[in-house]
Amino acid sequence: MWYAQALDPLSPAQNTAECLVLDGPLDPEAFAAALRRVVGEADALRVRVQDTGEGPRQQVRGSVELPLTVRDLRSAGEDAGQRAREWMRADLATPCDLAADPPFRHALFRVGDRRWLWYQRVHHLVMDGFGHALLVRRTAEVYSALVDGKEPGPRTFRPLADLVAEDAAYRASDERARDRAHWRAALADRPEAPRLAGRGALAARTFHRRTAHLAPEATEELRALADRLRGTWPDLLIAAQALYVSRACGRDDVVLGLPMMGRMGSVALRVPGMVMNVLPLRLTVRPQDSFADLVRQVVLGVREVRRHQRYRYEDIRRDLGLLGESRGLVGPLVNIMPFDYAVDFAGTPVRARNLSAGPVDDLTVNVYDRADGRGLRIDHDGNPALYGHADLAAHQERFLHLLDRLARTDPQAPTAVHGIATPAEEALVVEEFNRTARTLPPTTLIGPIEAQAARTPRATALVYGSTTLSYAQLDVRANRLARHLRTLGAGVGTVVAVSLPRSAELVVALLAVLKTGAAYLPLDPDYPAARLALMLQDAAPVCAVTDHAERLPQACGTPLVALGDLDETTLSCYPPVPPERPLTPAHPAYVIYTSGSTGRPKGVVVPHGAIDNRLRWMQHTYPLTHADRVLQKTPSSFDVSVWEFFWPLRQGATLVVAEPGGHRDPLRLAAVIRQQGVTVCHFVPSMLQAFLSVPDAAGCTGLSRVFCSGEALHRETAQAFFAALPGVELHNLYGPTEAAVDVSHHACAPDGTGPVPIGRPVWNTRLHVLDAAGRPCPPGVAGELYLAGAQLADGYLNRPELTAERFVTTPGAQAEHPLPPEQRMYRTGDLARWTDAGEVVYLGRTDDQVKLHGQRIELGEVEAALAAQTAVTGACAVVREDRPGEQRLVGYVSGDADPAALRTALATELPAHMVPSAVVAVAEFPLGPSGKLDRGRLPAPVFATSGGADGGRRPARPHEELLTRLFCEVLGVRGVGPDDAFFDLGGTSLLAVRLVARVRETHGAELTIGSLFEAPTPAALAARLETAAPVSGDALDVLLALRPTGGRTPLFAIHPAGGLAWCYAGLTARLGPEQPVWGVQARGLADDEPLPGSLLEEAADYAAGIRALQPHGPYRLLGWSVGGVLAHTVAVLLQEAGERVDLLALLDAFPAEQWRGRPAPEEGDALTAVLRMAGFERTSEHDRDDVLATLRRAGSPLAGLTDRTLARIVDVVPNHARLMREHRHGVFDGDVLFFTAAAPRAESWLTHTAWQPHVTGTIANLDLACTHPRLLRDDHLDAVAATLASRLARLDG
Amino acid sequence: MSLTPEQIRADVADALGEDPADIPLDGNLVDHGLDSVRLMSLLERWRRDHEVRADFADLAETPAIEAWAPLLGAA
Repeated sequence: MWYAQALDPLSPAQNTAECLVLDGPLDPEAFAAALRRVVGEADALRVRVQDTGEGPRQQVRGSVELPLTVRDLRSAGEDAGQRAREWMRADLATPCDLAADPPFRHALFRVGDRRWLWYQRVHHLVMDGFGHALLVRRTAEVYSALVDGKEPGPRTFRPLADLVAEDAAYRASDERARDRAHWRAALADRPEAPRLAGRGALAARTFHRRTAHLAPEATEELRALADRLRGTWPDLLIAAQALYVSRACGRDDVVLGLPMMGRMGSVALRVPGMVMNVLPLRLTVRPQDSFADLVRQVVLGVREVRRHQRYRYEDIRRDLGLLGESRGLVGPLVNIMPFDYAVDFAGTPVRARNLSAGPVDDLTVNVYDRADGRGLRIDHDGNPALYGHADLAAHQERFLHLLDRLARTDPQAPTAVHGIATPAEEALVVEEFNRTARTLPPTTLIGPIEAQAARTPRATALVYGSTTLSYAQLDVRANRLARHLRTLGAGVGTVVAVSLPRSAELVVALLAVLKTGAAYLPLDPDYPAARLALMLQDAAPVCAVTDHAERLPQACGTPLVALGDLDETTLSCYPPVPPERPLTPAHPAYVIYTSGSTGRPKGVVVPHGAIDNRLRWMQHTYPLTHADRVLQKTPSSFDVSVWEFFWPLRQGATLVVAEPGGHRDPLRLAAVIRQQGVTVCHFVPSMLQAFLSVPDAAGCTGLSRVFCSGEALHRETAQAFFAALPGVELHNLYGPTEAAVDVSHHACAPDGTGPVPIGRPVWNTRLHVLDAAGRPCPPGVAGELYLAGAQLADGYLNRPELTAERFVTTPGAQAEHPLPPEQRMYRTGDLARWTDAGEVVYLGRTDDQVKLHGQRIELGEVEAALAAQTAVTGACAVVREDRPGEQRLVGYVSGDADPAALRTALATELPAHMVPSAVVAVAEFPLGPSGKLDRGRLPAPVFATSGGADGGRRPARPHEELLTRLFCEVLGVRGVGPDDAFFDLGGTSLLAVRLVARVRETHGAELTIGSLFEAPTPAALAARLETAAPVSGDALDVLLALRPTGGRTPLFAIHPAGGLAWCYAGLTARLGPEQPVWGVQARGLADDEPLPGSLLEEAADYAAGIRALQPHGPYRLLGWSVGGVLAHTVAVLLQEAGERVDLLALLDAFPAEQWRGRPAPEEGDALTAVLRMAGFERTSEHDRDDVLATLRRAGSPLAGLTDRTLARIVDVVPNHARLMREHRHGVFDGDVLFFTAAAPRAESWLTHTAWQPHVTGTIANLDLACTHPRLLRDDHLDAVAATLASRLARLDG
Repeated sequence: MSLTPEQIRADVADALGEDPADIPLDGNLVDHGLDSVRLMSLLERWRRDHEVRADFADLAETPAIEAWAPLLGAA
């Protein structure tokens, strides 16, 4: 306590105080005399604590002046009480200086003729609740004697020294050693403290309090119940609080804090002082146990605690190593204060009211029994950092409600019959938040599509690349295929598999299956054959539609409809109308397989009515028009694809089908969204994040709505979305495959804060957040999310037990259960809570299911697959995040199996997203104290690269060298060899996005994510880069769009001697997505335009080009080498035209007079310049061919130039050298930002000060320790970019 | 009617929910689950039924039946 006060000397938190109401006559003089006498008797009130070199020391002073304030407030009339309370509040907020002040204060207020308020405040360091009571009793005794004119009885207090001696004896005793061992053993596994607020916080200086009274009758009921259960009323209150905390925190292991008086059998019974100790009471609270069981557990638990109650709380925390981690030991405190205040002041009775019981770390429930016949008083005190007034009120009301229920219920009934929500809260979360009933026509998934085709036959239904199909064309093709499928047995009640890459044919096939009345079963063509075979066997489809026969495993015997082999004329013989089908909304529409925890995937069967409800709600909430274009990019094996495919076709909108594989590549997605005018699309949040990281995303302004689902949407991602795409709507949807895609929705707001909710239920859908007993959780309390209503799936195909386990009936068909009975509910396994506004917030999982990049994975299935391999004796799988934001699936095995081989084996059985990034062999699995696997202690995977100590093949070619470096950088590993595969080294699809971006940035090379999947090693990728097509003509335009978009004023970067501005690509990347950058390049590189005759002519040409793009200033210009001279000249010309130039940045560029008189370079020097442009110093290259060979070897983007262009550059370089020497500079009116390549060089005379005659302002110079050609490389580039970025930011205010 | 040590023991055992045979005459009753609330209710009972005058602190200071007997008039 002393240390806590010393840490925050101005904190009043340790002031404890009470206000005593005296109703009757009182003699203030005698009262003061009594107080003075009691202060003289109570050593602790005269204690002063000083910090000495050896720590704090307490000293008992002989006497202290009585700090007593006496006020007659009767003149304030009815406000008297209020005035007194204000005074007390102010005093309570005053910190106490233990070294100087007396550690207490008194005040006596007369607030009525016969009413007095006595205020007693003492620092907690010297006094506890029992001590307060001793002081009051003795004061009453002395006062009564004095008023009676008698000498008060002798002092009843024992000296403080007795208490200190007793404590010293304990500290030296064996008993203390035994107590210590007890607590260490009882808490060895360091249980997590239950937190009603969901988190802990440092103790605050103040606390919030809410007070309630338990009526005398209710108090008597509790006492009677306690008697029946052979406990005391405090035992009952502790048990009730344990039950409440258990449900509110979703835990069965509950550790409460019990402040213990600690005076039985001690001299402390007669010492007013600080003896109290807080001790942990650990309880197991399970819904199936009765309240009687729980009370018995409390009685025995408290008895055990009492035996070891002298061992200090602080010492227990230290022993467990919790002090260093600032970790709490206990949850809420239950502070029972049964101190007898049945005293009177010469006949005037007194009622005590506690004002502060000391610091509140989390939440303290103070219960007072003043033995005054008024029942129990219950104060909920909360740390304001964790609990607002409303939170405290909610916790208190629920607690009182629970007490009331417990008193009225058979204590032998399981506690599962009790919920913690109040009846009002139950009505809110069960009824009010779920008012979603909506009468809808009984239709199917396919019916409305056919009706739409009839309404708008000529409208565009589908676009795929250059293929366009009208509604009529699509309908006719699907009808004919449906009739063909009918001949193979497809119809109502059957299943037809569809395994096609994304294409127009895929859509035709899905529609055809639905038209027959059959349910479709999507099979991802990228899945391993073993997985496909498993699904075909399980679902037993009547046939499978695919593009060619080799796509599906032959062994299953499923009849195949290979569209590639199907004769067009065969199909055209069928009538173009749908086959007859007796289809109802209750029939299955599709079967989608998801990961299964026992090692077998499970097929979810979704009926037409469910998905029809979902699509009707979606159209009502986010209406599509004929003008909308919806992107289809989700693989058909994930249920998000269901709305992508069918929603637009039900509404007359256009379905834009993305090319296969393109859904993983942000750049290709941005391109298709822009080119195809997409208005609506879906992203998994992690993919949205990757998408937003490419500048092109901001160009997708044709979008009107974006939907997210599949995993938690982070607020940062939503904010990045609104920054990149202002005005576009972002909606967060949630739902498992088992409930027809989505069951809840939330519209994100640009100014939203905190976690993004998954929102409110959709039509005819109810969400229930239930606690461990299946009772509704009140708002703010986490529980498991259950779903009910029209969208529930039928269950799992051929898996009745599993279906019964997840699709449950209302937990209590029991009486008094708030949920409507015999309702089917799907148990999601998701943790969630309601907000007060009726939205649900997703909090995580209750089991081992994980979402990795939006894909659902049962770790149990991965574990089962690992365990089934030979030589594996034990297996587990976890998702790790060893680098922030990078989640990876990692498998662990024991046994003799080769981890790398296991990974390869799994890849042949599981879909790619379920194959661990790494498999790690462990000698044994780390176990926690309870014998359970301790996942936190599993080692991080070390990705085995071939280029380690034993040395695999070294990179043989420059491209390989570059790519191995980028692999290392992106993967965060060392020693990648040219033949190491990206995904074997822990690469994920999101890291792939980053690698491709880095290759683009460093290499100028276009590489798709798809190519990384096809060529996953540096060697294979290098081969691709080398055969890539030469650079396109656009890259040689005068104005090169390095980054054409962004909200800020553009930066124009003028080429160095060689005429190309590609060297500014890295700079562009570092200036961020908001800064547009245009390269300015020399004419004549792509065609045979004549070279300019002077730098002035060249600069005038550039100035015109720049003004064509940006008609008016302010302009921002930059140039490297000769580009700097040109930039200066362009700046002068723009100023002459009356425009403002607010940035001129010169990169190691020197004015003409510094060159004049020096010999102009010949072709040989031109070749040097070309090499320099690529960042190389010339060594052994003799002629053009040598130079070209070097560039190609190094993988320089310049190597992609045609021979003609390179030859032209070799002309451009000496031309610039000549023009430089002839140039006459104008004067630039303004400041210059200069970067010097300051490594020693042959041309030692070059200096930035030479610019001074050509500039009116100052020249700010930054020296970089590098040579001229390396100025825009490595960390020098970082420094240049950082300086520029801060200058640009300053210009933009 | 005045208290006897056996009656004290029986009452204490009842308050603690234990068998009297398990309550020692000379042992610390705190170790057997005696707390201030239980002691108060015992004391109230004894004051009512046996006109006991001892106060709470007297009993709580030495929580053992042997030590209580003289204070409770059972010696």
